[in-house]
Amino acid sequence: MLLIKCPYCGERDQSEFTNGGEAHVTRPKNPEQVTDREWAEYVFIRSNPKGIYYERWVHTHGCKKWFNAVRNTSTDEILLTYKIGETPPPIKKFQNTLKSPSGEPDVGSGNFTVKKL
Amino acid sequence: MTDNKIYFKFDGKRYGGNKGDTIASALLRNNVKLVGRSFKYHRPRGIYTCGIEEPNALVQIINEYNEPNVRATVKKIYEGMVVKSQNRWPSLKTDFGSVNNLLSPIFSAGFYYKTFMGPKGFWKNLYEPLIRRTAGLGKPPREFKSKSTHLHHNIDILIVGGGLSGLLAAKKLAGTDKDVLLIERENELGGILKNSNKVKSVNDQKTSEWLEKTERLLKNSANIKILKNTTVTTYNYSNHLTAIEDRSVGIEPDNKKSELVLHKIRTENTILANGHIERFLSFRNNDLPGVMLAASFEKYIQRYDVVPDNNPVIFTNNSSTFSLLKLLIDRKSMPKAYVDVRDLKKIEKETLDLLEAYNIPFYPKSEIEGCDGNSGIKNISVRTKKNKIIKIKASMLCVSGGINPDIHLFTQSKGLVKWDEKILTFKPEKSFQKTITLGSVSGNFIFKDIIDEVNKKLNFIDGVNDIDLKIEVNGSEEFNIKEIWETKNNNNSLWSKSFIDLQNDVTTKDLTQAIREGFDRIEHLKRFTTNSMGTDQGKISSINALGIVSKLLKKSVSEVGTTTYRPPYNPVSFSAIAGRSTYEFYDPERKTPIHPWHIKHNAVFEDVGQWKRPWYYKKYENETMNEAVQRESKQVRDSAGILDGSTLGKIEIKGKDALEFVNMMYTNSFTKMKPMSAKYALMLGEDGMVKDDGIVCKINDNHFITTTTSGGAANVLSHMEEFAQTEWPNLNVYLNSITEQFATFNISGPKSRIILSRVFNNIDFSNHKFPYMTFNTFDYLNYKVRILRASFTGEQGYEIYVPPKYALTLWERIFYYSRDVDLVPYGTETMHLLRAEKGYIIVGQETDGTVTPLDLNLNWMIGKKKKDFIGKRSLTRSDIIKGDRKQLVGLVPVDKSYGIEEGQHVIEDKNIPSQIDKPIKMLGQVTSSYFSPTLNHSIAMALIKEGNRKIGSQIYVSTSNMNVIPVEVVKPSFFDPENKRLLS
Ligand SMILES: [Zn+2]
Repeated sequence: MLLIKCPYCGERDQSEFTNGGEAHVTRPKNPEQVTDREWAEYVFIRSNPKGIYYERWVHTHGCKKWFNAVRNTSTDEILLTYKIGETPPPIKKFQNTLKSPSGEPDVGSGNFTVKKL
Repeated sequence: MTDNKIYFKFDGKRYGGNKGDTIASALLRNNVKLVGRSFKYHRPRGIYTCGIEEPNALVQIINEYNEPNVRATVKKIYEGMVVKSQNRWPSLKTDFGSVNNLLSPIFSAGFYYKTFMGPKGFWKNLYEPLIRRTAGLGKPPREFKSKSTHLHHNIDILIVGGGLSGLLAAKKLAGTDKDVLLIERENELGGILKNSNKVKSVNDQKTSEWLEKTERLLKNSANIKILKNTTVTTYNYSNHLTAIEDRSVGIEPDNKKSELVLHKIRTENTILANGHIERFLSFRNNDLPGVMLAASFEKYIQRYDVVPDNNPVIFTNNSSTFSLLKLLIDRKSMPKAYVDVRDLKKIEKETLDLLEAYNIPFYPKSEIEGCDGNSGIKNISVRTKKNKIIKIKASMLCVSGGINPDIHLFTQSKGLVKWDEKILTFKPEKSFQKTITLGSVSGNFIFKDIIDEVNKKLNFIDGVNDIDLKIEVNGSEEFNIKEIWETKNNNNSLWSKSFIDLQNDVTTKDLTQAIREGFDRIEHLKRFTTNSMGTDQGKISSINALGIVSKLLKKSVSEVGTTTYRPPYNPVSFSAIAGRSTYEFYDPERKTPIHPWHIKHNAVFEDVGQWKRPWYYKKYENETMNEAVQRESKQVRDSAGILDGSTLGKIEIKGKDALEFVNMMYTNSFTKMKPMSAKYALMLGEDGMVKDDGIVCKINDNHFITTTTSGGAANVLSHMEEFAQTEWPNLNVYLNSITEQFATFNISGPKSRIILSRVFNNIDFSNHKFPYMTFNTFDYLNYKVRILRASFTGEQGYEIYVPPKYALTLWERIFYYSRDVDLVPYGTETMHLLRAEKGYIIVGQETDGTVTPLDLNLNWMIGKKKKDFIGKRSLTRSDIIKGDRKQLVGLVPVDKSYGIEEGQHVIEDKNIPSQIDKPIKMLGQVTSSYFSPTLNHSIAMALIKEGNRKIGSQIYVSTSNMNVIPVEVVKPSFFDPENKRLLS
């Protein structure tokens, strides 16, 4: 179970939180003026990277506040949490963090507890 | 009892054991060696190990809990314990299923996958009954009675393992400001110091003295807590580990105290000092009762003072068996033979000296060819270095195939392991989390190096000092091993097998066959053969399988790789996971303030989310639901009815921007709405689909109260919160759930006004003063009530909101004033029927997340002038506006005596061919259906393709007895379409 730092309450068990999907997906200002495709991008399409991911969480069984988090999807490390409205840190800030556990390749999954040469 | 013995029963026979004995040590004390039958072939099996790694000796405890699959090598006996062997029928000695052994060609690798594909009928009539009767492990308890609890720890350092290195780590941390938890699997600290005589002395003291002193020191350290009889089972992300503590060791569980405790541990650093597990070797009949791992044999002597056999044969490929040899000789139990795979030159001097001094038959560069015997070893065949077979009469064989660091937890933590050519096994290479490995789990098998390792690896911790240790061992310090996984055998009899997984009955032949069939990747091979997929996860054998596979594939073990060890480390009882969340504590039950009244009036309850709602009320003992619903609904239409609507979700919206916010959340427009009026409102998702509905009450532009469906309250609030916080944080709006702050009664029917005028005699309920869809707050007695003129039945109706503590008396008061008016309490089923007569939808019944307001013909609810609201843009997406979507219609059977079934398919063609060879075109489905007592026929609502255009036509509905009935498509409003009654 992950330990997640709510920017308002501090570190708590993952069981208190709910994941809210990708962060910084902004609702179009004038929905009537966007094409079907652009609207579908906003409603349905989300990125799904292996690696650094900006996502939203809500402290459901706590202060009920939404906040943003930067999580490495291949190691499940939550590298940073910050409040809604704060500028997201650039992705290069996390370049030096571990890419994956156990020597997994950068793309795809695998059960590699033995280091691949 | 006068003899200090603890008596227990195994398969009906009474045995005596010593205090502290496990079932296995007590059975060995009584010279019982046959304890079970194997999973697939039903071969006789004995006790193979002396701990958690046991693959064979799984037994069933018969008590209140009927615990199956208990490791006899772990579970301690208690007075009166009843133990039964598993996997045998009718009895352990004459087992019917052992015929499987002779059918073994059909049980080979991939058996399950292949037979499932067999001829039609074979599975159902032959294989399944056969497998069900003979395979499988123990029998689960019939009723869940066990009692367990959960405990949380937030600590600085967790030490897993109270052996030598774990104790040294704890000692080093004693007196610091770190919060330390030390977890030991056994009931005593000591690990290797207790299990073997490898260590002669520590700091010039006997090991037992040093242990006693160290334990006292740790117990006196305020910062160290010790848990015994506790096994760490999972190692998760964020240094979160779980451990199971057995609190009923050596006592019969009594239902008063927790039997198991699940510890949830959150720690800054984890020190893994959980040691190693000896591995076995494959040879002909390496599963016979009497074969035991060498270190386990030693452990029975050292820890339990049981010598399983006085003259065993020892078979090894490494230096670790010296201590067993010495121990046996010290106890004057001379081994029958010492068989060592290694070259004479490679064998350490200490071993050679002992063998010579005591004249023990010694076979260097030799191996065990196999064992023979019926239900236990009788003969052991040794293949000498000159390839000669020598038969030795013996009843036990001690085997050591090497030592594996117990990397299970380390790999669970996502640590990286690496094959070590010197010790021929995997050892930790790189931690992924803040994980430190100490002692044999780190691949360090040399005692004198442990103290340096402890100091070096723990010196980063604030406040620790170097500690010192002088350690003297029996025999050589060096670890020396020769690679071997399976010995050569020359017996081809069907009965003889060389096993690689004892619990799942996988043979080395199965591995060869799997590779021949193309399963040459280790993860595939594992699943195809089920190797190491038993409850023991192949603790003594999975590395051996890799060794054999690497030889077959002519690759290095590193290249073959290891399979992933999965949590839990060992089987965890469901009782421990459930903890206190059982029966009435599993999920909260929510009851309205009127609940006691409902019970008194014979309500039958329905679960709506966590709520208990009256479903219908039984007027007399034998009244059926159908009878009750017909009676209740007729009475509502004839006079009046009352429904407890307290479960309805209620959300208060306040703030300067409340109006703008409500306008965004619902499809309707609230801008021109008058204060103190209400509106039926629809909420969509951003995809344009109906999400919820309710009534929005406007107090003023800065203050709204909305209701939600009973099951949807929490979701609607979080949906609103999400947009308020993330999309429009600049809006001044506050949301609050007030569901429990008010009880709600819905009174409706032609006589509802009369009743209310009597209860609240100072309020004018006339249409003129109190029109439909308006509300107000009134002083009543010493509190306030809010009354809303609204209805979900199509009758004249009112909703009363009252503080919960006055609710029950008000409810009873209403009945008091209705003595001469026929007021009926009705439940949710009648509510559903009445609203269906009116064609009102229920979110979740008429909708399923794919239905737009347009599909429901609710276009009138969409604020035409509104520029934007959640989901608006989606309503003009090409897929939403295309004409052939399903639309909501009403259905009435052409023959009024027929009933329509809910959930049935609506079809165009009445002819269903007797032989259906292609799909029948489906128009849609029936979403609601009732028999209307007012109309005296069946009515139904359905979502069907191009429904609006089909109004007036005849189509068909399937029935559950493979028939169709003709129905007429009508507008979904069956009763009082002009709303005369509603507005009366
Ligand atoms: Zn919080």
